[in-house]
Amino acid sequence: MAETPPLITEEEFQKLADFLYRRTGMVFTETKRYYVERRIADRIVATSSQSFAGYFAYLRSEVRDEVEHLINAFTVNETYFYREDHQLACLTTDLLKERVAAKEPGDTIRIWSVPCSTGEEPYSIAIWLLENWREVDAYDIEIVGSDIDTRVLEAAAEGMFGKRALMRLSPELIGRYFHGLDDERWRILDDLRQSVRFSRVNLIETKDTRPQGRFDVIFCRNVLIYFDDESRRIAAENLYDNLLPGGFICLGHTESMSRISPLFEVCRYSGAIVYRRPRELRA
Amino acid sequence: MSDFSRKRVLIIDDAALIRTYYRSALETRGFVVEEALNGLEGLEKVLLQPFDLAIVDINMPRMDGITFLYALRSKELPVSGIPVLVISTEAGVHDAAAARRAGANYYLVKPVKQETLAQYAAVFCGVPR
Repeated sequence: MAETPPLITEEEFQKLADFLYRRTGMVFTETKRYYVERRIADRIVATSSQSFAGYFAYLRSEVRDEVEHLINAFTVNETYFYREDHQLACLTTDLLKERVAAKEPGDTIRIWSVPCSTGEEPYSIAIWLLENWREVDAYDIEIVGSDIDTRVLEAAAEGMFGKRALMRLSPELIGRYFHGLDDERWRILDDLRQSVRFSRVNLIETKDTRPQGRFDVIFCRNVLIYFDDESRRIAAENLYDNLLPGGFICLGHTESMSRISPLFEVCRYSGAIVYRRPRELRA
Repeated sequence: MSDFSRKRVLIIDDAALIRTYYRSALETRGFVVEEALNGLEGLEKVLLQPFDLAIVDINMPRMDGITFLYALRSKELPVSGIPVLVISTEAGVHDAAAARRAGANYYLVKPVKQETLAQYAAVFCGVPR
């Protein structure tokens, strides 16, 4: 019996991987072939291309935002509210306490969720602060959610969520901060939608990261693992520039900044390990 | 829990997160909450609908809380008589005095606990606790 020929030859796979790497910093090796092929097959159909070669030519001609569609297809977007809530607890018990020590009431506190996917993380931060931070009304809190994927950003701004995204929230919290649309879908309150600003950012592009300004706390979870060493270093340096001196960055629980960059100080709190941009330059 | 279900509170604050915080404090206790994003929008709302209380921030774009108060108190009754609770991050004695001069009934300094806010709202709405 003849085997089904692979959709993409080894050489084509390499060309595509190089292209994705140059555009996003994400690394796809042969071990991810199945994952890559499935998404490429979808894009070949969606663009009515006849073959991979035809599709790749179309992709490189930069027409009709195909690069953006492809990047969107390659980003992993599934998440849920209150994921890694030990870090949210750390935010209110330790990180913000430190950050507001040098601030006055009414001053701005800036928090960045990147990548933010369909909004679960930045909205979780807003809800967590409302529920757990006694000083939430004493500061001008600005929450920014950013992602490379424009499709998820549109969904995030819409603020509609299914059961799975809300599985960690109690019925009381859902009742307080969401409107039920039907049995399967909820929409977050308009005020909460307005309390988060969304922007498109590629973490390895300084021209994207710099305009976001500087933050007190950055949540950057489970994205650096997709990068190779070089992109990871560039992203870490960009993130460093986006932190106020003394500002904190929280990574995913399997990630370590110490392996990526020596720029940050590691801080151990009861709830989490986080990294800090040093307050002053070392002599 | 007392029944506040007919008491209408207008929250005037430019920060969406703070509006959510106050709204949740009051709605869970049965108040009916409306919102405005600045003093100008607040004035529009009080002219259109009756309110038992307005909770007003000081620093806001387009029309700040003090200007709102002077404008409100210059209207006809019953609009001019709406009790106003000012909540601000400005903690100076002169800030509270300026608000009182403009017609504020009471002045709280942020941060305000949700329970505290609800208690003050109940007092101003004349609801026995």
